[in-house]
Amino acid sequence: MPGVDALLGAVPALERAVGEVAARLGRVTVHVRADGRSAGAGVVWLRDGLIVTNAHVAAGPGADVELPDGRELPARVIARDPRRDLAVLAIATSDLESALRADARGLRPGELLVALGHPFGVSYAAALGVVHRAPSAMRGPAGWLHADIRLAPGNSGGPLADSSGRVVGINAMIVSGLGVAVPTHVVERFVREALSDRGRGGGARAA
Amino acid sequence: MSASSTDGLLSAVSNDLAAAVDTVGRSVVAIHARRRIPASGIVWQPGVVVAAHHTIQRDDDITVGLHDGTSVAATLAGRDPSTDLAVLRLAEGASAPPVAPATEPPRVGQLVLALGRPGGSVTASLGIVSALGGEWRTWQGGTIDRFVRLDLAVYDGFSGGPLVAAAGRVIGVNTSGLARATAVTVPASTVTRVVGQLLARGYVARGWLGIATQPVRLPPALQRSLGSEAETGLVVVNVEPDSPADRGAVQIGDILLALDGRPVSDPGDVLAALGGERIGQTIGLRVARGGRAESLSVTVGERPRARG
Repeated sequence: MPGVDALLGAVPALERAVGEVAARLGRVTVHVRADGRSAGAGVVWLRDGLIVTNAHVAAGPGADVELPDGRELPARVIARDPRRDLAVLAIATSDLESALRADARGLRPGELLVALGHPFGVSYAAALGVVHRAPSAMRGPAGWLHADIRLAPGNSGGPLADSSGRVVGINAMIVSGLGVAVPTHVVERFVREALSDRGRGGGARAA
Repeated sequence: MSASSTDGLLSAVSNDLAAAVDTVGRSVVAIHARRRIPASGIVWQPGVVVAAHHTIQRDDDITVGLHDGTSVAATLAGRDPSTDLAVLRLAEGASAPPVAPATEPPRVGQLVLALGRPGGSVTASLGIVSALGGEWRTWQGGTIDRFVRLDLAVYDGFSGGPLVAAAGRVIGVNTSGLARATAVTVPASTVTRVVGQLLARGYVARGWLGIATQPVRLPPALQRSLGSEAETGLVVVNVEPDSPADRGAVQIGDILLALDGRPVSDPGDVLAALGGERIGQTIGLRVARGGRAESLSVTVGERPRARG
């Protein structure tokens, strides 16, 4: 049966490929804990301790971040925007591996996506799906990246990545069964704003 | 580590899926014929769009959004509630390429995409064909050539959109209007047949006898006197005045045993024997009347349209 032989080659290779993307994401994905319990996930955005997560995950002035290597560090919320559902956390460390990124506006419907997070408290669980609708010009969440992928509470703040493992969005909500992620270009702008505010001492506003 | 080779594989699969969406997506249109969000449709032939009947909530003032962002007027050519299909004709000059229907039958486990255009941009979901079956009959009496069950998430506005094989061929039209709580795919062969009839006539003609029946168990004594081994027949509970059955002398209380020599034990068996091609033909009815078997002949009529 030639069909079976073909499967034996292609499917394990595909499974390895998904596993490698998940492993790559696992090295840049953190746990974010608030009040001692797991609130969601986060993504290492800059190697010197800058973490991006959802505003609804980091709801208070501080949080704890557990790194993939198991270290748990206190984090300071240096910027927070409920409208974009984003927060930037700072932890006192450096030499972290940071996430590779790609612009979600270049995605086409049907492209494969991999999400990593802690759905229902299961640490570092991966999900496979496709682009349902690429980000559009619509304002707010309606214009964000919509994914046909199975997410759950605990995926919030975690990465949504393309088939090369580059982060294209931060998973933020589930709407009518669709995963909705803040696209990377919105995150980049938010992080730039947060860093320039911090330069002017504006971080106190969020605290 | 062989990261680069497997990384390439995942990207290759991803590109194939996106290419299938891009190719077929040019034929997927938005149907504006109801309130709230638009539904989806497919350019099936040049200038002809297939949509889901249940999403066409008005017969006039229908507009269709094409892949290039233009919007064109469309007229309703006809609808067939029994297969939940409707056909629209696009205003002249609308340029949208028709889809290529699949030539191979679907397989269980096959990767498939459901596309829609509930607005300006095309949307996609990925899943697999989870089960297949033979011909089946919808609750409104429509014949669907093949049962296709999906493991695939469908979202608002997908009805009327295509089920696409990863290679870019269209397996059928998806709709939520034929089954409760699940999506159903009407296979391309059924769509093509219904489109042909709707374009020719504006509706799908069905055969009609004019009787209402319900199953009844045949007591052993009756079975013996009829010389029949069938345990169930269909008791005639209504005969419409001046219907083909009335003209053929069918009476209330007759127990229908066979149509055209084929035993019947479910009202669906009667519907199944009354396709549009039977209109005008004379068929034989075997009935039990007063404990004895009788043969009647009835000329099949056309089902009145107001009956749906």
